[in-house]
Parts: sequence; structure tokens; C-alpha cells
Amino acid sequence: MPGSRRHRLDALDSLRHTLARLETRPLLAAPVAAPTQLLAPPPGHVHEVCADSPVAAGAALGFALAQAQGLRREGRPGLVIAQLRGEAQELGLPYGAGFAGFGLAPEAVTLIRAETIAELLWALEEALACRAVAAVIAELARPHKALDFTASRRLALRSAASGGSVFLTRYGPERTASAARYRWRVMPRPSRPAPWDARAPGGPRWQITLEKGRLSAAPADAPEGETYLVDWTEHGFVIAAPGGRKRPRSVGGAALPRALPAALGHRLSQAG
Amino acid sequence: MALDQAAQARGVRPGQTVAEARGLLPELETRALDAPRIVRRFADFADWHSNASPIVAIPADGAPWGELVLDITGVSHLFGGEAAMLASLVGRLAALGYSVAGGVAATVGAAWALAHFAPGQCLATGAEAETLAALPVEALRLDMAAAGALRQFGLSRIGQLYGRDRRALKARFGVALLTRLDQALGYAEETLTPRQPVAEHSVERRFAEPIGLIEDVLETARDLALALAHRLEAAGLGAQSFHLYVYRVDHQVLTLTVGAARATRDAAHIGRLFSYRAERLGGEYDAGFGIDMIRLAADRLSPLAAVQAGAFGSDDGLASLAGLHDRLSSRLGAAAVLRARLANTYVPEQMVVFEPAGAPMPAAAMPLAPLPEAPRPLRLLPQPEPITVIAEVPDAPPARMIWRRVGYSFVRAAGPERLGAEWQHGRGRLALTLDAIEAAGTPETAARYYREGAETRDYYVAEDAGGRRFWLFRLGLSGFTETPRWFLHGVFA
Repeated sequence: MPGSRRHRLDALDSLRHTLARLETRPLLAAPVAAPTQLLAPPPGHVHEVCADSPVAAGAALGFALAQAQGLRREGRPGLVIAQLRGEAQELGLPYGAGFAGFGLAPEAVTLIRAETIAELLWALEEALACRAVAAVIAELARPHKALDFTASRRLALRSAASGGSVFLTRYGPERTASAARYRWRVMPRPSRPAPWDARAPGGPRWQITLEKGRLSAAPADAPEGETYLVDWTEHGFVIAAPGGRKRPRSVGGAALPRALPAALGHRLSQAG
Repeated sequence: MALDQAAQARGVRPGQTVAEARGLLPELETRALDAPRIVRRFADFADWHSNASPIVAIPADGAPWGELVLDITGVSHLFGGEAAMLASLVGRLAALGYSVAGGVAATVGAAWALAHFAPGQCLATGAEAETLAALPVEALRLDMAAAGALRQFGLSRIGQLYGRDRRALKARFGVALLTRLDQALGYAEETLTPRQPVAEHSVERRFAEPIGLIEDVLETARDLALALAHRLEAAGLGAQSFHLYVYRVDHQVLTLTVGAARATRDAAHIGRLFSYRAERLGGEYDAGFGIDMIRLAADRLSPLAAVQAGAFGSDDGLASLAGLHDRLSSRLGAAAVLRARLANTYVPEQMVVFEPAGAPMPAAAMPLAPLPEAPRPLRLLPQPEPITVIAEVPDAPPARMIWRRVGYSFVRAAGPERLGAEWQHGRGRLALTLDAIEAAGTPETAARYYREGAETRDYYVAEDAGGRRFWLFRLGLSGFTETPRWFLHGVFA
């Protein structure tokens, strides 16, 4: 019966809309603008940044910080890093003098040292509710029972509502169920050669696998599970060739001023 | 030492030895005074009296408990006059079973004299000399020896001191007598040190029936915040710190304080800060027998012009961030919400200091030494961790380390970057050469010298085959210390 078919189609359509609203992602048919920069995700999602062990905590935080600082906009300058007080010695505290390599002034980041995981989750939601916070990075040295699917779902809804992004850094091979839209696996790789000294370590180079989620709507552009070998440079992410030959694929990325990190926010505000 | 009335009636006096007192009164019961506890409880008791007047003091030159001074200038009309206020305060305490006496006068000295020797009176300003004349000299807050000396000379009433040669009085009885006399008569100023900061702007609410639930307290706090916001708005002010005084019927005051990073008078914000602060109370909250008054006071005031919110305002987000810092620190504590700031030193762990995110930024930033050219790690361990390092030759970059019982072989390394200890901040004595220290003689004197090589660190960046980059240092130069010790200090991105 055509009438009932039309009815069913309408129901399907409304269901699709409801799902899209629930899932906080655009309709399947809706066109998505291609990312302008390499590995640049849209704002307002939950990301998991997984590393194999806490020894790689530097690379995990580096990648999260690199992504987070790219999400800063005019009127949205805030970055928050949240940690559990008891895990500081294991992971190490974020070091302000090292932020210069990410185009950030030490003052630009707020550090939250929560006592319990419940306080940490509360602080994450509170920070996301603030419309001046561009991204929140939560560092967890080990899996916590309180950070389950429901908790990550709450974070996903919050971040979709406010437009701030969440990066949860996790360590270890196991993957728990979570409502994160993207899951990245970050592995440190032998660094790119230092300019004048072949025996010295150079700038950071990471092997990044997008285990979950797509950066572009067209599957051919950025399929799920693709692995990138990238260098983090003053120009943002650059695809690295292991032989040392570099093929810059960064589009329209403003160079991050190294000497004057505080000027970054200003430049962004003019560009935006 | 304290005596109850029964003992006093039987002739026991303060200052007697216990043996003497027992001779007078064999059934005398003696107990040790828990002085710190009494002082603490009396301080609570004093704070609780700020529900009658904002300026409450425990006299600094008297006993730490037992006496209370209230400045009732400008508040007595709330109680229907000075006499009614005195009767109400004294009656309130008497009803609770305290033995209490009080007096009202224009000077602290005169009020003290009334309370101790003619309780229940109110003196008009200017009538001090006349009324005090009939009182005994002890009413001048003199110690027992001074009062005894006066009595030996036949000076037993205050009135007998009037008109005498001040120089003679001073020579014989000391300057304290004249000071006390002048203070009682209002010739000399006597300052009070209020127990709580005096708030210029505060609002309060009294309850006919005591309340107990924390939710009710917070609801009241929100209402009071609204009233306070109106007042502050009328005065064109904002405040950075808010105190909520919760007065319990049993003489305890619970004080909750929240701070704001920038001056505010946003009632919703203040109310929310207090509810977050209350969550941190947890089991600490105890309403006792109920709460009969709540006062909200604003502190650290500064001018705050009305702002236009909306269409034409340009929002840089900093105000929202400051609000976020307030909310986070009210719930987690100010020490849990931090901001990094560069300090003027090259010692890595002191170079970046953490301060509360809500702390005011210095108006003029201090000129800083330039950041070091050498790379700095993204993470720093709060405590450098001792590691075992194998280097091929002394002073060569490390080849292998064992950290947390796992071995790492380095394929590339750079360094050293030598960071000397900052002798200018240390307390050791300086000597130009080691020989000079050794010539100083005994090991104790030599230990007081600053030793150049012992505190110096050589930092290395080392990378293992997996691409993990570490920041490690050797403490002590190899020529100066027996065995150099190695530490891991940070991890690179």
C-alpha cells in the first residue's frame, strides 16, 4: 500500500534525524567540508588518544596538545589539562617551558589536579560548559571504572552542545567501550634528524593511527584505520618520509611562532 | 585558674596554693584547665556574637577567655536602644545557663568597670567620671599588686584619684595606672581588634525558627546574594571575595568563603560558588541544634561599572574563563586549579611555578631571562627519579639506563647542557677554589661552604630505539663528587 509506505519512509526519515541528533553527528547525506589541515578534526567531539604504555606519555600529551591548540579560536582561547593528583609522579606534570614548541604560552593552559576520578569528571563537564574553553585534555594513567561508556557519552553530549573538544589520553593495549567519536593511537618514532648534529635527537615524529572515526565524509579521502607518519613542526603536522625527505601537505597553516608563543592567540584572532 | 561561686563564698581566693586552699576547704575539687580548648571555644563564642554587632573583640590585654567587647555604635537601635540591647544580650546568655554581667558605656574601660562592679547599667557619654568615682580602684583593670598598693595609700575609690598630681601618681604607681584611668574616662584612645574583618557591605537574615538543612542554607545564600548584588550595584562596586557566616544557636559560627578571579556582583554566580563550596564540606557540615541567622558579606571591593551584555559587546572569552576558574576552585580548592608562570631562574623545576588560576596577574610583568635555546621536555616529573646509567666514558652521553626496573638503550643523545646551582640564592659561603674550602679546617666549617661542583647538573636529551625521548641529568661533576648520580627529570613529546 503506497500510503503506508510513504508513512514508513517518513517514520524512517524522522528516525534518522532523531538518531543524528542523538549521535551528535551530521546526517549521512549532509556534505562535510574537507579538512583544511592535515589531521584536523572538527570541534565539539570526544577523542581518545591511546598510547601503548605510560612511558609514551610525552607523545600522547604532545599529540593531544597539538590538536587542542589548533582548535583555539577568537573568543575561545581556553585550554584545560586535567590530571589526578595521585598520578602526577607516574605521568609527570605538564611543563610550561615545553609549551613553546606548541605555540602556547605557559599561562595559556589551566591545570586541574583532582583528588578523585569523580571530581575529575565533574571538572571536565564544568570546563566544557564554559564557552571560552576550546579543548579539555584529561590524562588518565590507568583505566577507571567511573569513566565508562555512560560517562564518555555524557562528555560527548556536553562537548557537542558547547563546541569544546575533549581528549582522553589512555595507556595500554586494551580498548574499553566509549562514546568517543575519534580514537587515535599514537606511537613515538625515531625523531627526524636534528639540523646540525646527526647523533642528536631531533623534533618529535609520531606514528598516528586513526582507529575509529573519519576525518572526511568521503571514505576514500581518509579511511578508517589509516596510519600516518607525521612530524610535528612549526607549521603543524607534516607527513614525514622515513628517508628524511619531507612532503609538506599542510594547507594554509600559519607558522607557529616559536620565540613569541603568546602572539599566537592574537594572530588567530586576526585570521578568524 | 578559675573558681566557682561556692568555692569563692568559702574564702578560697585566686593566687592561693592548692595546699592552702585544701586547708580552708578539705572537700575542694581541683581539675586541670584545658586552656587551648577553652580559648578555641571562647573564640567561637565571640564570633557568634557578631550576630549582634559586626565588631566583636576579645581584649588583647586581658585573659584569652571570659571577656568580650562589642562595639555597638550604630546597631543598638536594631534592638530598641542600648538598655534593651544589653538586657537582650545578657538575658539570652543567662537563659542558656551562663553567669554573665554587662555594661554599656562610651569607653571600653568604663564599660568594663560597669560590667564587673555595677552590672546592668548604661552610661550616657560624658557621665563616666561621675559614675566611676564611686567604684573601687580594681574597676580600672589594674593587676592585683597595683590595686593593693593603691589601697595601702588609702586610695580605694576611683574618685580619689581625680585631680591628683599625675607626675606623683606615675612615679609611685607606674604609667599603667594613668593609662587605664585615661582610657576609662575617655581621654586616651583605645583600639579594638575585631575578630572578623569588618565588611562594608553585608546582608543578613534571621530565622524565627532555626533551620538545619544545608539546602536551606544554600537557598538563603542565593537570596542573600541577590540582595547583596542590588546593594553593590547601587554603590557601583564589585567584590572578589564573599563570606557566608552561618550562626548556630549553640554559639558556633561556620564561615564559608569563596573567591572570584575578577570583581563581580553576579548573584547567580555567587550562589553557585557557594553551592560548590558546600559540596567540598562533606561531613564537616554540622548544624548542631539549628541555625538562627545567616550573613553574607562582600570583601575586597573594587569599582565595577555596569557592562552592556549582548549585541555590541566584544567578548574575548577571558571573563568566562575567570568564571570557570572560580567555579572549579570553589569545588576543588584553589590549590587544585593552577596556572603555570615563568619565573626568573634557570633551575628547571623552579623555572615554571604553579599558582592558583584565579590569582591576579601582576600589572607589570617582571622582565624575564630569555628561554633557553636547548629543548625543554613537555612533561616534568614532580620529583626527579634516580636511575642507573651506563656511559661509555665519564662525561660521555649516556648509552643505557634502567628506569622503573626497565632498561632502555639509547641510540642518539645530545648534551650536556650544564646548569649550575644558583649560589646567589643559596646560603652557603663562597670560596674561590676547593683548596680554600679545605684550608678552612674542620669538616663542620667546610660543610658550610657552597661547593661549586656538587650541585651542578649536566642535562642530556637521549632517545631510545623506539623513539622515546628522555631528559636526564647527572648531579655533580665527575671531578668533584665520588660517584655521579643520575636522575630522570622529564619526557619529551
